[in-house]
Amino acid sequence: MDFDLKSLHPLEIRLLRHVAKNEKITAEQIIEDLSYKLGQCNQAFSWLAAKEYIVEVSRKLRTLYEITETGKDYVSKGTPELRIINLLKEKGSMRMPDISRDLGLENKDVGSAFGQLSKEGVLKMDSEKNVEVTDKDLPGRITLLVSLLTKGLESGLLDESQFTKDELIVIKANSKKRGAAGSPFKIIEREDLVYELTENGEKVKKLLLDQGVTGEEIGGLTPEMLSTGSWKGKEFREYNINTPPSRVLLGRRNPYSQYLQWVKDKLSSLGFEEFDGPLVETEFWNGDALFMPQFHSARDIHDVYYLKNAASAKEIEQPWLDQVAETHETGWETGSRGWGYKFDHDFTRRQVLRSQGTVLSAKQLHKAKIPGKYFGVARCFRYDQVDATHGADFYQTEGIVLGEDVNLRTLLGLLKMFAEEIAGAEEVRYVPGYFPFTEPSIEVHIKHPVLGWFELGGSGIFRPEVTKAMGIDVPVLAWGLGIDRMALMHLGLNDLRELFSPNIENVRLRRSK
Amino acid sequence: MPKIEVNRDIFYSFIGNTYTDDALEALLPCAKAELDAVDNDEGTLKIELNDTNRPDLWSTLGLARQLRVYEGGQRGEYNFFSNSKKSLDTGNRIVKVDPEIKATRPFMAAFAVTGKAVDDSTLKDLIQTQEKLCWNYGRKRKSIAMGVYRSDLFNYPVMYKAADPDTTRFIPLGMDKELNLREIIKEHPKGQEFGHIVENDKKFPFITDADGKVLSFSPVINSSEIGAVEVGDENLFIELTGTDLPSLILTASIVACDLADNGFTILPVKVEYPYETEFGNTITTPFYFQKGMSVSIEYARKLLGVDLSADEMKTALLRMGIKTEIKGEEITIEVPEYRNDFLHPVDIIEDIMMGRGMDSFEPVMPSDSTVGRISPEEEFARKTKDILIGLGFQEMIYNYLGSGKDYIEKMGITGDNHIQIVNPMTENYEFVRASIIPSMLNSEAISANAVYPHHIFEIGKIAFLDSKDNSGTVTKNALGFMSADRNEGFNQVSSSVSAIFYYLNKEYELVELDDPRFIRGRSAKIVYNGKVVGVFGEVSPQVLENWGIQMPATCCEIDLDFLIKD
Repeated sequence: MDFDLKSLHPLEIRLLRHVAKNEKITAEQIIEDLSYKLGQCNQAFSWLAAKEYIVEVSRKLRTLYEITETGKDYVSKGTPELRIINLLKEKGSMRMPDISRDLGLENKDVGSAFGQLSKEGVLKMDSEKNVEVTDKDLPGRITLLVSLLTKGLESGLLDESQFTKDELIVIKANSKKRGAAGSPFKIIEREDLVYELTENGEKVKKLLLDQGVTGEEIGGLTPEMLSTGSWKGKEFREYNINTPPSRVLLGRRNPYSQYLQWVKDKLSSLGFEEFDGPLVETEFWNGDALFMPQFHSARDIHDVYYLKNAASAKEIEQPWLDQVAETHETGWETGSRGWGYKFDHDFTRRQVLRSQGTVLSAKQLHKAKIPGKYFGVARCFRYDQVDATHGADFYQTEGIVLGEDVNLRTLLGLLKMFAEEIAGAEEVRYVPGYFPFTEPSIEVHIKHPVLGWFELGGSGIFRPEVTKAMGIDVPVLAWGLGIDRMALMHLGLNDLRELFSPNIENVRLRRSK
Repeated sequence: MPKIEVNRDIFYSFIGNTYTDDALEALLPCAKAELDAVDNDEGTLKIELNDTNRPDLWSTLGLARQLRVYEGGQRGEYNFFSNSKKSLDTGNRIVKVDPEIKATRPFMAAFAVTGKAVDDSTLKDLIQTQEKLCWNYGRKRKSIAMGVYRSDLFNYPVMYKAADPDTTRFIPLGMDKELNLREIIKEHPKGQEFGHIVENDKKFPFITDADGKVLSFSPVINSSEIGAVEVGDENLFIELTGTDLPSLILTASIVACDLADNGFTILPVKVEYPYETEFGNTITTPFYFQKGMSVSIEYARKLLGVDLSADEMKTALLRMGIKTEIKGEEITIEVPEYRNDFLHPVDIIEDIMMGRGMDSFEPVMPSDSTVGRISPEEEFARKTKDILIGLGFQEMIYNYLGSGKDYIEKMGITGDNHIQIVNPMTENYEFVRASIIPSMLNSEAISANAVYPHHIFEIGKIAFLDSKDNSGTVTKNALGFMSADRNEGFNQVSSSVSAIFYYLNKEYELVELDDPRFIRGRSAKIVYNGKVVGVFGEVSPQVLENWGIQMPATCCEIDLDFLIKD
């Protein structure tokens, strides 16, 4: 069996080192030998008994006497009998009521003192009821009481076993168990436990001695020790370093937000500038500017959220409105034949909760630098039943690259860079895709070291109907990355709702892989 | 995105080749299609079609055509098309359109089919094609509806009329008694599903033969006799009605080409309108209306990033089933009869890309050097987060949609400035949050078991109504933080506010706040540069009770946009 010396308190160590095999260990003895306070002694006993290093072998009843406030009074002023004798010695004879008055005692107390003392021949009374002192010596019981009171004041508790026969008679006459306020002593009965070292206790004691652990080691370094230098030459008590530490509640980032921050930093490091926008958008920016026809099935009432108040924007910025409307109708100057329908100017002002991050790209176009690279991490809203793979609102990561010389091959290069830098992909595969606002459109599938093959994102070259209507004549690469799956993997989760968990304990305990 | 189910053997026989599932998967991208599921017991494949502008791919035959041609096989020649210059002879196959139908559902396209008996798989595929085209492309029959009939059972000319819904009666398919059109809308399952398309019109679209025998109540339901096509029928009549003529004619062309590929003979039908249409007042369908389109070879090279020769482009397009003509610096394509997705020359370029195959394009890094940076808002948010974390707060991220109960009722506010959704999925997601505070109190309400103290924060967006803005709303970046503990109170939150402003290097003043969310006299407005930029204080016990929270809490919310600006 291994004994953990580091879990021993100095009180336990000193006690163990002190006691011998088969010795009867009592509180009394330990208090005397090691100068423990009774409380410390009892603590050491209970800890050591719990560890089974000592074991209780018997119990002993003890009667103790404790001096009361009355007793303390007797010590400072004298006992009532002594005070009566001293008064009479000083003033000669006196009548009893005068004694009571002078000493501030009750008549009956003076009366009973006189009765006892006159019986013992110390006092006598004349025919005029005057009391006076005789030449007789003081009775032994009075001197004994005085000496007991003095001892009691010094040591607090007097043990019955230490009294002489006479002392015992005197103290019993002056004590009460209950209602002792008027008596000089109070009787206290106490059960003393007797312990012995167990076999393990002996082994631990031996270890303590062998290793020189004394219990006198320094428990904690204090500023005073440092200022006085009292630590010098002392040992420090060794701690059990495997004791479970207590929990710290700390201030902390949310791991999902940290992941999004990492993506933002990654994209910035790849030369992209961040953009952002409002949660409420018009149909114009949410769809029309992206050349999605107003009758497109993804623009039905069951795909986007409409607003009750603020249902429509007051106006749409020009010249973009006219250029986009014309592009939808006839293709305007974009080289397109357009969708060939009548553009609805009321519908275009209608407001929705942003349903796709591409809105931000559309809005950036007319103010973009050329060459330029932009990205946004946008909160979007879709009319979807909320479940493990659909949130009421969620993040999309989107962006654009504008440049005279960008083309399909640079688009593939960009996707490859994302796949490697952001997803850590081992292999990349490109397949033709379909998005209403890009042509050509490319989906990028990647082989992720943990997740296997999956679609990382969609991309393409913005249709000229989108860019030219915004006054941009160079090709614009547009891309979006589905980073949710990677975020879930990163956090060891499999439910999108968990990313936005309001549960404080869940979030506190969450960490990234 | 539409998904179709195909019989594997029949599908492969139309392609003229067989494939392993993996090989098929590798081939499908040339049609922007994906293999969704394989049922080996039934011998069927489920395939998802991603291009919503290519309805010609949403059938066994149409998809097979694309793959066959891509693999080097032949495309059918379709000689049954009329065009604006030449109308084929239709004999007595004529449809006469009633002038009154113009207001409701003005257009029809039709053709007849003959030459062999309809077998089970053809019938199944025809029904699937009709469903996909009318649902996904025809906007749930609103703009396109299609009917198939036994042409042996009626006499031309077919009459496309506007009929009185209360006096016009017939036995609809699937029932055994005569109903009037209005009763059909109420009682027939198809009437309940599609009746809403016409129910507000005075007269309903109705198709009969020369003698008044009923073909159908379009776009709802066929008649039980002429409209009940069965396996073994040899002569069919197919009509489509709708509101958008080009997409209607295109859909008719797609179905006709599919049936022609399947070995049927297509017989054109002449539709006579009493009014003008964009293709004249008589249109013989199937009708080829698509216009050729050209792309500059230089533009294609520039966009693809590869110096392809004109011939290489021609070959690539041919692989996509597109015939071309090269004239100088331009390639002009002849749009296939079954397609109408060339809006802009870039659409030709994508077909060149697909015809070449993705592997032929080597990725190259964009060479333009640009400076990347996060937004000023993000930068400021990060700075602020650092301080909150130093103060011992845990960062949270919340959803932005919630219920009126949480955002308004429990907070004891009127909620006048809240953005409400007209068409919420459920009342749990009916409002956009106008404050982070309810999000945090919701956290507290469900986290009584988490060890105290609780210190949480979020930097996120809030949005609310603001008539001054063009949109009538405004979106803000805000900081919210909340503490809950036995001894939590005004002094603690005030100290936090003080620390935040100190380290953001901003001065502020406090003004007493009268706000039902907080205890009066223990809450404050934060004033910065003369503007109220935030509030904080001890949360009102009434609000805590509304949330079922049994721990004192303090909250603060600060509009960061005001702080970023100055």
